[in-house]
Amino acid sequence: MIADFFASWELFHHAYLVGWLLAFVLSVTGVIVVARNQIFIGAAVSQASTLGIALALWLGGMFAGHGLHWLASAPFLSGMAVIFSVMGALITAGGDKAGRESREAVTGWVFLFSASASILVVARSPHGVEEIHKIVASSIIGATFADFVLFLAAAVAAAGLAAVTHRRLLLLIMDPAMAAAVGMRTRLWGGAVSVWLGLVVGLSIRSSGMLYTFGCLVLPALVAKNLCREVRPMFLVSPLVGVGAGVAGFVLANHYDYPPGQLTVVLLCLALSAAWLRRRVRTS
Amino acid sequence: MENDIVLSSKGLSAGYGDRAVLRDVSIEIRRGEFWFLLGPNGVGKTTFLKTVLAELRPVTGEISLHGEFAGRDAIGFVPQRCDINPTLPTTVREFVLLGLVGVRAGAAERDERLSWALDKVALGGMADKDYWSLSGGQRQRALVARALARRPRLLIVDEPTSGLDLSAGYAFLKSLVLLNRAERLTVLFVTHDLAVAARYASHIALFLDGRVEAGPAAGMLNGESLGRAYGIPVEVCRETSGIVHISLAMNGEGR
Repeated sequence: MIADFFASWELFHHAYLVGWLLAFVLSVTGVIVVARNQIFIGAAVSQASTLGIALALWLGGMFAGHGLHWLASAPFLSGMAVIFSVMGALITAGGDKAGRESREAVTGWVFLFSASASILVVARSPHGVEEIHKIVASSIIGATFADFVLFLAAAVAAAGLAAVTHRRLLLLIMDPAMAAAVGMRTRLWGGAVSVWLGLVVGLSIRSSGMLYTFGCLVLPALVAKNLCREVRPMFLVSPLVGVGAGVAGFVLANHYDYPPGQLTVVLLCLALSAAWLRRRVRTS
Repeated sequence: MENDIVLSSKGLSAGYGDRAVLRDVSIEIRRGEFWFLLGPNGVGKTTFLKTVLAELRPVTGEISLHGEFAGRDAIGFVPQRCDINPTLPTTVREFVLLGLVGVRAGAAERDERLSWALDKVALGGMADKDYWSLSGGQRQRALVARALARRPRLLIVDEPTSGLDLSAGYAFLKSLVLLNRAERLTVLFVTHDLAVAARYASHIALFLDGRVEAGPAAGMLNGESLGRAYGIPVEVCRETSGIVHISLAMNGEGR
């Protein structure tokens, strides 16, 4: 099995490396999402990103033939994915306030609107519909060296930010009122976290699809939450679980000829079930 | 600002949006004073605290803190409650050490502050316990320990004894009084418990629908002031030992 995997390395090594780097970045970011109990936001932001791609495909189809070739380029697609996921993250970032709509309702709106509109926008273009279905289903084959460099930079940034700011992040996600009382500009921090979430999800969606992105965002952090006694070690355990499942998923997928993204997500779901079982046994 | 003035507000007005909650509040708080903020719900006590903590900006007037509080690391804050995601794993150690955000301290000093703060609230030796295994009262004390870990010179507490049983509440107040006297800790304490205020306050601020009457406790704790603040007749009796009894004046009703 391992020999098979190494044999495929030359052909797919960029896809493997990008998949693992994404698993790392998403699982570190996912700790914040899970700690704030905002798992559904991950799905909504991923879906908002898909809407951005759908609009980019539509614009490309409409105007690329009129001299605007850049509208059909990969950077434009990625840019639209990032812009829409950042917008989705910022819209869903507001806290629950008396007299206003709940965060959960706003998140539901973003998810449903993006999911429906992304299909409607490309409904008359067979190529567009196919592309959207591909994104929703996830496919991480086809990554390039440029993707590898981009996600390596994102991984270094995620690790660096988590190392430098983890105490403030902990306070922000565990007790925003206290964070404000000690002088943290909580709105600014909250906005920065949302922009980071949108950036990471938007970049990931283009390369790995919605299922892999959402799975790696929330499942490793949920596993870590059930294994750790404190939030702080979750920032270490979550990426270990995410990357570990990514490595196992890709090796197994290569051997048994399954799609690697889906297999990785199934492995993470099984790991979460095992973590739940362990916790139940320990507390009973 | 005079050297021992910790906090000073002049003509302060503050609120939310167009709604003014505080109007023309002038108050001066000096080092080592133990202030109780009294008044019915919704008259501006928490709004005042938020303004002190710079979470709200004054609409008019000004509020200023002594220069030593510019970095906020000398201010401790105990909120009414803490809404942590209950599915999140955490220990008493991690929870209390959150209070040190923004404070420069090495690992050894952090541990030392943690032990000191936990001892002060009678949670010594419980650092490694699961936070969620604590009782409601113990969690409330952990909340106080989190503020004390900053070794504050100004401690702001917003109804901290509401979740504590009688003995825990007494132990907590006693520890605050000790800190207040031994280390000249300035305390701003919001409570509805007039008996506690009568026993421990050096100064009292009475919130009356946005306005504030403030001064030394002996002058403020009288039936007239309290009656004006709460809108009901209040009777205050002082024993020669210094103990103050506060009760609802029945005016002949129900006797």
